[in-house]
Amino acid sequence: MTYKRKNFEPDFSNFEKVLRREKPNRPVLYEFAFNIPLLQRLTENKFTVDENDYMTYFKMLTEASVMMGYDYITVSAWRLNALAFPKGEVDQKKSKSQNEGALIKDIESFEKYPWPDADSYDYSLYEKIGKGLPDGMMMIPNSNGGVLENVTELVGYEQLCYMYMMDAELTKEIFDAVGSRLLRFYENVSKFDKVGAVIANDDWGFKTQTMFPPDMLREYVIPWHKKIADAIHSAGKLSMLHSCGNLKEVMDDIIDDIGYKGKHSYEDEIIPVEEAYKLWGDRIAIIGGLDIDFLTRSTPTEITRRAKALLELTSEKGGYALGSGNSIPEYIPYENFVAMISAVND
Amino acid sequence: MESLLNEIAHCVEFGKIDLKSPYPPDMKGKEGAAELTKKALDEGIPAKDILEKGLIVGMAKIGIKFRANEVFVPQVLMSAKAMSTAMEHIKPLFITGAVKAKGTFIIGTVAGDLHDIGKNLVSMMIEGNGWNVVDLGVDVKPEKFLEAVKENPNSYVGLSALLTTTMVQMEKIVSLIKEDHPETKILIGGAPVNENFKNKIGADFYAPDPQGAVEYINAGAA
Ligand code: B12
Repeated sequence: MTYKRKNFEPDFSNFEKVLRREKPNRPVLYEFAFNIPLLQRLTENKFTVDENDYMTYFKMLTEASVMMGYDYITVSAWRLNALAFPKGEVDQKKSKSQNEGALIKDIESFEKYPWPDADSYDYSLYEKIGKGLPDGMMMIPNSNGGVLENVTELVGYEQLCYMYMMDAELTKEIFDAVGSRLLRFYENVSKFDKVGAVIANDDWGFKTQTMFPPDMLREYVIPWHKKIADAIHSAGKLSMLHSCGNLKEVMDDIIDDIGYKGKHSYEDEIIPVEEAYKLWGDRIAIIGGLDIDFLTRSTPTEITRRAKALLELTSEKGGYALGSGNSIPEYIPYENFVAMISAVND
Repeated sequence: MESLLNEIAHCVEFGKIDLKSPYPPDMKGKEGAAELTKKALDEGIPAKDILEKGLIVGMAKIGIKFRANEVFVPQVLMSAKAMSTAMEHIKPLFITGAVKAKGTFIIGTVAGDLHDIGKNLVSMMIEGNGWNVVDLGVDVKPEKFLEAVKENPNSYVGLSALLTTTMVQMEKIVSLIKEDHPETKILIGGAPVNENFKNKIGADFYAPDPQGAVEYINAGAA
């Protein structure tokens, strides 16, 4: 027998309430991504997934999500290969370096770069996936990397550090080339009926600070996110930001300037989610947040205890959905994951 | 002499590499760490003084500012570049024995992990503080750390890991090294790493940023 959430019927209006910082009718779960073996296990190994067979993947994700008790599925652009910026060769072992595979180093390579067209993709796939959802369930799309992430990959992290200080003009052109395409992508996916909300994913920070000075982000990155958030909202959908790392310096920008409705990704080493909720929870919905290291190395009892306490802490004001601080990679033991999501059962 | 060394320190702190570098904008058209270091050598200032009272002072200042979040990685990279460009003039003197490194620091990202930005920053800051750095790269097997310790007696070892799965590998590396070389001091860092974990695995030092590591090994070398 696999895990099943008690008395559960998908109802996306609960997730909307969370993003509006209201109290949902019952606890709400959120996860940005699950590892495939976990989804296969939950669906009793009925599905074999091949990289190109996205329909089977989404079928499996939908079935598993209903079992686990989620009101939506994440529709990842990387799974659909939607608006992918061609990247250079990287040594793809188990993890990757941020300095490898850079394709743009000057104006010539910028002009030669095969810029993808955000409109030429067959977006009807989103409709097709939406049709497979049970009543009450919605899609939450994301993009194939964010504004800063894609530029970092195209230029290389260290090279981008030098470039923005030495060549502001080229830096701006690259950010605009990436940002305008991502904006178009978000406009395209936000309009589908079965899209209930949209998550913009773009990692901006690390342990102690942002990857670039806040002023640099304000000049090149944040204006594009403002446009992306506006586009999502104009389509009548709610927005969220997934961004890892220490973002304390730019939280006001995220909340007041860009206007994202929810913020996802937290780490205990930076700011435990409980504190983040106390600090920002009355201005932006706090999504997920149970630290990955905590979920990996604690006992199931400890995990359920902390998850329940978090639900308790947030029960009065709402504006919270329970989940991990990042995603569920394969190294989080199954029992630990179940210990987290089963906290909603009573 | 003192003012020239101060100028060199200033160039490193603010990332002024050389005359042609347009950064920082307020020093455009001025000589940078490279020219000033050459000038100091030509004036007969001992290389040891240029290093210790000029270049290293600048690196220490940027390290402290980085820890306090007053500057960000790009500024640190510019400082490190200014430092390493100036070092081109000093390096030949290491061979003659006129200048000596404070000691050797071995660093690597542990097996299974290919993140290198953090490790590179630690490596740059430590090198910029007058240490000889042996950078083993990323995805480094425990045995390779041990080999490097054997080849470089009395060195310090730094381990970097970004994921929980790779972080737990650190325990193995620490016990492997300590078994043969119990005197070796091991420093650890990276996203999920903290003081508790350091204690649990028997490593010697944890720092959330490079400056902590610099201060720890400098204190040991003093
Ligand atoms: C960018 C990033 C990615 C990018 C990497 C892009 C690339 N091309 O490299 C992408 C999107 C690919 C990615 C993927 C994943 N990531 Co990731 N990622 C990050 C992120 C946001 C930043 C890492 C970084 O570049 N830091 C920049 C440098 C400057 O910082 P640093 O390495 O920490 O180094 C500093 C200090 O730690 C210290 N330091 C470092 N080493 C040492 C050593 C010593 C001796 C000392 C003293 C100090 C020291 O000094 C440095 C300078 O101050 C971190 C968040 C974070 N908190 O770091 C998550 C993070 C590392 N990722 C995480 C996860 C879960 C993943 C995935 C598993 C997601 C998934 N489900 O697939 C995958 C795994 C991929 C893999 N196998 O490696 C988690 C790991 C959690 C955990 N405990 O295991 C983190 C912490 C995010 C989170 N919210 O929890 N990631």
